[in-house]
Amino acid sequence: MSAGGGAERPLPASLLAADRAVLDRFGARILERIEAFGELTYCVAPGDWTEVLSFLKDSPEGAFDQLDCLLGDHLPEREDRPLAVVVHLVSHAHGHRLRVKTALAEGQGLPTLTGLWPSAGFDEREAWEMFGILFEGHPDLRRLLTTDDFEGHPLRKDFPLQGTVGGRIRIDLRGKI
Amino acid sequence: MDCSLGNIAGRGSQEEAFDEPLGGPVRFPGGIAMPVQLEKVLGFGRSFSFWPLLFGLACCAIEMMALGGPRFDMSRFGMEAMRASPRQADGMIIAGWCSIKMAPRVVRLYEQIPDPKWVLAMGSCAISGNIWDTYHVVQGIDSLIPVDVYVPGCPPRPEALWEGLEMIRERIKQSRHAYDGLRRIPAREALAQATASSVPPAVPLEVPLVEVPRS
Ligand code: SF4
Repeated sequence: MSAGGGAERPLPASLLAADRAVLDRFGARILERIEAFGELTYCVAPGDWTEVLSFLKDSPEGAFDQLDCLLGDHLPEREDRPLAVVVHLVSHAHGHRLRVKTALAEGQGLPTLTGLWPSAGFDEREAWEMFGILFEGHPDLRRLLTTDDFEGHPLRKDFPLQGTVGGRIRIDLRGKI
Repeated sequence: MDCSLGNIAGRGSQEEAFDEPLGGPVRFPGGIAMPVQLEKVLGFGRSFSFWPLLFGLACCAIEMMALGGPRFDMSRFGMEAMRASPRQADGMIIAGWCSIKMAPRVVRLYEQIPDPKWVLAMGSCAISGNIWDTYHVVQGIDSLIPVDVYVPGCPPRPEALWEGLEMIRERIKQSRHAYDGLRRIPAREALAQATASSVPPAVPLEVPLVEVPRS
């Protein structure tokens, strides 16, 4: 599948080699392969998450040594699997990038990536705090940007944009000043 | 100049204040000072060396940095020495929106500044929360700490901040502070109230705005 307009921009040769290695290894387990604007995106099942990503990190063709970012997403129109996790990978050896996505049902967990890229720690904390996506095996899953007593996941589409959510949002100064 | 500036005293009453004698006792923790001519002399001296805390919260801080840089150059007025330690500062510029997570730190920094101290709220976010009526922003920093001068704008131009600092300077000369010598810190009051009534243990976001004493 390719998005219109951007298809004429080719993928870098090193990324094509990595792409071939991944497709050889996983085949139909790569649920979707999107090529647009000279960039490549894979969609995988949550069960294949760690396996695909560790292959991408360790295979010499991929050599994705940096996790650029990991983010959550909430798509309420997709009723059976409303949550998504996206990672952006960078390879400093080859100078190419890759995006990997997965879709999750409400309450479904995802194994942590902190064992592969320690920098996933903060990103997973944020995705958990903002979307309520549970990362299994995360060493320190605490709230990152909101206070510890905050209730709710503010970046979900059903979280009120305005106001204090019925007074639930408070400034707790006890023991802090 | 085309920037509309707000001041709790209002500009008219501020001009009148020049003619008034300095009246009433000024209370500091551990004592009361009766302002005499000496207070005027001290205020005159202090007003030429106001050292703000080196502290910015959000995008407004960029304009504050511009004021410190060569083009606007606030060192002409003895204010360039921004101190990185609150214990060496004379006041703080709340430059930007304050998140709820940051709020206790702002109160702590304020309390660590030695008396007498002055506070300038820079930008709509510090004044009222601006458009961020959301889950993470304090709706006006004056619900937590006393504010001397409000400089509206998003962000205010460096000239506007500069004029706000000039207003602070006038207040320094008159030995006036937003806490009026009584050390009424809204955050402390709200905390004491919440503890005494033991209803909700936390301070609600909509703490009634504590009226800043007018000079
Ligand atoms: S007033 Fe405007 S420039 Fe200043 S912190 Fe708020 S949004 Fe940023």
